[in-house]
Amino acid sequence: MDRAIIHLNIADFAAAVERRLDRRLDRRPLVIAAPTAARAVVYDMSDEAYQAGVRKGMPLSRATRLCRDLAVRPPQPARYEQAMADLLGQARTYSPLIEPGEQDGHLFVDVTGTSRLFGPPVDVAWRLRRRTLQALGLDPIWTLAANKLVAKVASRLVKPQGEYIVAPGDEEAFLSPLPVWLVPGVEGPDLSRLRELNLTRVHQVTALDPAHLEVALGSRAACVAAALRGRDEAPVLPLGQKPPRVEVNQTLATDTHDPAVLEARLYPMVETAGRQLRRQGRVARRIAVTADYSDGRRAVRQMRVEPPTANDLALFDLARRVLHLAVVRRTRVRHLRLVCDRLIFPPAQLPLFEEERRHVLRREHLVAAMDRIRDRFGMEAVRMGRLAG
Amino acid sequence: MQPSMDTSVSPRGRLRIGTSGYSYPEWGDAGFYPPGTPAQAMLPLYARRFSITELNYTWYQMPKAAAMERMLPKVPAGFGFAAKLTRSMTHEIDPHGWRAQVTQFRQGIAPLVQADRLSALLVQLPAAFERTDARRHYLAELLDALAGLPVAVEFRHRSWAVDRVFSELERRRVTLVSVDAPDLPYLFPTLDVVTNPDLFYIRFHGRNARGWRSGNMQKQFDYLYTPAELQAWSGERIPQMAARAHSGLIFFNNHVRAQAPRNAQMLIEQLEGKTP
Repeated sequence: MDRAIIHLNIADFAAAVERRLDRRLDRRPLVIAAPTAARAVVYDMSDEAYQAGVRKGMPLSRATRLCRDLAVRPPQPARYEQAMADLLGQARTYSPLIEPGEQDGHLFVDVTGTSRLFGPPVDVAWRLRRRTLQALGLDPIWTLAANKLVAKVASRLVKPQGEYIVAPGDEEAFLSPLPVWLVPGVEGPDLSRLRELNLTRVHQVTALDPAHLEVALGSRAACVAAALRGRDEAPVLPLGQKPPRVEVNQTLATDTHDPAVLEARLYPMVETAGRQLRRQGRVARRIAVTADYSDGRRAVRQMRVEPPTANDLALFDLARRVLHLAVVRRTRVRHLRLVCDRLIFPPAQLPLFEEERRHVLRREHLVAAMDRIRDRFGMEAVRMGRLAG
Repeated sequence: MQPSMDTSVSPRGRLRIGTSGYSYPEWGDAGFYPPGTPAQAMLPLYARRFSITELNYTWYQMPKAAAMERMLPKVPAGFGFAAKLTRSMTHEIDPHGWRAQVTQFRQGIAPLVQADRLSALLVQLPAAFERTDARRHYLAELLDALAGLPVAVEFRHRSWAVDRVFSELERRRVTLVSVDAPDLPYLFPTLDVVTNPDLFYIRFHGRNARGWRSGNMQKQFDYLYTPAELQAWSGERIPQMAARAHSGLIFFNNHVRAQAPRNAQMLIEQLEGKTP
């Protein structure tokens, strides 16, 4: 059966949400940036500002030079979160299979097999757009295709406004004339390699023999070829059914790239994550750190946790290593995120060797004792020496 | 027994009967298509049964010439299309941008025009499109901009059911669409007025009065006409309209559970004199 995937995308989400609250900003170039910060950078911008040359991550001072009548609004993450929740509320009427992005105004809705209830998918997509506009004052791009990849490309094609329906079976013909960089799944190194070979359009790459493509792209050839033909089997994940994970966020009071300060900020995050894991009776098999730089760029690094653990001390050893892999630029960091995922039940077996077992047990006992104290007297009742002073 | 009429079984017939849209996954469950028929295989199967279809998706999305070109080889010679004008010119009119939209629409349907497959261009106006001075002017300008195309106008608001409107359409040789819809006070009434000697056009929406305002197409167009209800059309109205125009198009829009193709087939048989 053909799948029917709707992609809704509110272009320039933060700017669109601010405009909804202040109609004076309509049709005016608008950027979202913290104007009080010493070296503020553009977090998001409206299409008018984009057309004037403003880009994400650009220093605000440069943006204001490029665009004289620029309106500036500070970032309001809580507002974007609320708008995203409202958007989900609209989509929920039509399907339980909704996969939202992270507060970025886009979501996939799988309406396969719902036509007997709600009518043809194209009509559902249009109604969803209309309801979003009427109820939330936000006008999303809407596209409809047989998979997420093609729906996403269609959205990129019509941005900042419009709609696009790719009929099932038309995927290859639809992608064929497009530039390769529009297709998700063909990323940085693949693109540079293809550019070196002067292959910039999808049809130029799909015309190649698989063996030739493999010479150019190595093991990535099959993935790239499938993406460029519009093949994507990835399901739309049900809302709230994402793989379980523990996430802790920390926005730094002052942006910094001092490793000692970053580590000091990271430790309480690990403690929070560890405590959540232990409460759930799970251990993590993977740990990831995301660092958002003050210029808007983002670095994500992750590491396998072996043996899987929920112990603060063991997790911190790894988190610190991941942090130093993520923060390599000389730019200040604004925000840190720690994610522990691939959660499993704790393994029953202790380390085989006596010394290692003693070391592990000592750490377990220490953290368990701290948990007991904190459960009774609060989080501040006991602290690690590294956080003292 | 009524005289038989040349209907959809002959592609070049004066009277062609089909359905509004053909790509409905549920038509597989209802037995019109083999179960599990992929969307891209539906049009060739549809074209074995009917000689014309109304393209609904051009209302949702501006037609694209490349997609139209890809569609043509899927149907036999002589198969016709009626295309619905995009909503940005009927339901969500941008007062500044609509002229550019007309140009874009003309480019999108150019492959159908060039291949002589465009039987009609349906301009369906919403129920909220009441007859006011501003809207009369808009419609006049829109019809000017669409000149040269076989335009048929469907009104939903009953304020347009006046002789002045009909005579203006007649002067322009623009078809007034006759509708069979629920008998609701605000809706355009069922009429058999012919304003264009080249073409008459009938749309059967079903008579589900409760579902009409539900906001859900599955309820709005859930209706199966009885043979007697269609007989009122096949016995009298359609022959009368056919006598006043060279050709005619008839579409069933009650698509839910494939009732539209069932009714279309029923009407064809009645007109051919196979059934009473």
